[in-house]
Amino acid sequence: MSNNPYLPKLARLIEAVEMTAIEKLFRFEFVNEEDAKAFSYKPGQFVVVSVPGVGESPISICKSPTRPGPLELLIRRVGRVTNAIHKLKPGDVVGIRGPLGNGFPMERMKGYDIVLIAGGLGVAPLMSVLQYVIDRREDYGDVVLLYGVRSYQEALFRDMAVDLIKHPEKTSIKAFLSFERDDPVFAKLMEERPQNVRKGVVTVLFECADPYIKPGRVCVVVCGPPVMYRFVLRELVKRNVPPERIYLTLERRMKCGIGKCGHCVVGGATAIRYICKDGPVFTYSDVLAVRGLV
Amino acid sequence: MRYVKLPKEMLGELFEALKMFGEVHAPVKRGKTFLFTKVSSPNEASLNYNRTMLPPKKYFVRPLEEILKVKVGKGYEPVVEEPKRIVLLGLHACDINALRVLDSVYLDEPEDPYYQSRRANAFIVGVSCEPDEYCFCKSMGTDYAWTGFDLFLHDIGEAYLVRVGSARGEAVVESIKKAMSEPTRDDFLKLRDLELKRSKMFKKELNASLLPDIVDSLYESDVWAKFSDKCLACGSCNLVCPTCRCYDATEKVELNLEDGVRLRRWDSCFMRSHALVAGGLNFRPTRLDRFRHRYNCKSSIEPKTNTFFCVGCGRCSAFCPAGIDHVAVLNSLWGLAT
Repeated sequence: MSNNPYLPKLARLIEAVEMTAIEKLFRFEFVNEEDAKAFSYKPGQFVVVSVPGVGESPISICKSPTRPGPLELLIRRVGRVTNAIHKLKPGDVVGIRGPLGNGFPMERMKGYDIVLIAGGLGVAPLMSVLQYVIDRREDYGDVVLLYGVRSYQEALFRDMAVDLIKHPEKTSIKAFLSFERDDPVFAKLMEERPQNVRKGVVTVLFECADPYIKPGRVCVVVCGPPVMYRFVLRELVKRNVPPERIYLTLERRMKCGIGKCGHCVVGGATAIRYICKDGPVFTYSDVLAVRGLV
Repeated sequence: MRYVKLPKEMLGELFEALKMFGEVHAPVKRGKTFLFTKVSSPNEASLNYNRTMLPPKKYFVRPLEEILKVKVGKGYEPVVEEPKRIVLLGLHACDINALRVLDSVYLDEPEDPYYQSRRANAFIVGVSCEPDEYCFCKSMGTDYAWTGFDLFLHDIGEAYLVRVGSARGEAVVESIKKAMSEPTRDDFLKLRDLELKRSKMFKKELNASLLPDIVDSLYESDVWAKFSDKCLACGSCNLVCPTCRCYDATEKVELNLEDGVRLRRWDSCFMRSHALVAGGLNFRPTRLDRFRHRYNCKSSIEPKTNTFFCVGCGRCSAFCPAGIDHVAVLNSLWGLAT
């Protein structure tokens, strides 16, 4: 039983940074050095976090493997386990299983422009891609970020988002931001940068980002609330982005994360998929073949 | 395939040899149905049975089991169990094929160590059977076990014609050589004729060709609601299904608030919580969604074994309190009168 895939490795909370009223960025470090050394992952992979005595929850990794240091997980306080995680103090111990899932095919995406489309908490797994592409800048073409949030108060990485939009000269990333609720901070930003900031859901940004979405040379990476995918896909299909270069990362209920417990099973009888094992990253081609993926 | 012949009066010899391997479990009649349980002599076993209520999966993925020990706030340790050797005597071909399907999931990388250990320590003895009004294994292609057993006993009247399916099986046969004989040409003809007779006895038929495509493409059919309206969403079909393998995991803490266990227990895709995520979003919010999900899952083909996830054992129909018949649902989808 030395190789028990259900046995979590111990990790210690280094710090928890408050991002919004309900979300924190947690930095964990493995207790055993061997576990830390053995932990190598790809952008888009996830871990299962255990609070001993409470239970487990699947969480995507919010950091690129190109960056050393602690494991970063952006966690919304929404259920039993995530509430317990939010109550942890530095030094407290959790269990980590993983990395799990397939992750984004960063090799296959080399040479393409990268368009990231994030809605709300969907920015968490995409952060691993964004950082990766920034760190391997010469391997990729233009980097475009379409980021939809509710409001400044509810926006994750809001300072980064504001900075990217206010000072495009500082980076090579073309950033666009949409917000849904009346909000003085973002309203002002919209006045300053009308070409980059819009009121509405994330799809309103296609209009301003259009010049940067060249179907022949883009890879699109999408993550957001389940309802978002259909609308974003419609816009991408309209723009003739090839289905095999549209990548989506999906969520479902999971208990094991390794294709046993059956909760994340999706699909019709011709194509059954496990989100945890076959995903969480799927292409739009998969969406066309597997019923109920989005 | 190696064949040997075991006269029925010598079954006791085989039984003793099997006992040398481990504890023998076989179908035993309880009330109106059968269950797999420990037997100490061949007389206790009912080798002429239609089906047990719970399938053999209970030996490998337990209904409820502890997988980890928890030290609250500190960490986890695996629950280590002493491997125990058992013999499952009297599995039908459908159940043997169902174990192959479970293997494809639980022994896929990364292997489930609990399942793996129990599976490696189980000796499988199949037995031939005749279909009753619920059986449709022939339609699913699982009426024949071509692998997945150590020994397979074919009832040919006064003797069993035994197929030897593994080196372990070979060793058992070798140890009771004196009780066995070489089958004759007549024995093989008997086996042939009985098998042909059996294949004509099936009362239920399901057209399995193109079945995955029919079930997938007719997702919007009215047939689903017609049956799901009758469904009690009790999950009995999941519990009795030999290939249903969903489990839920929870942690239980002792009153000292220091020790605990992580448990897993059989789950059911008919439970509202099955696809519910934190925050309240349910990916299969209605009973209709869950009903269709089960039929899609069961009508799909496991790619490694090339076997349907449904092996046609008939348990879900036989034990459905609402009287929903698996074959009737799918035949309705085919547009056939039921």
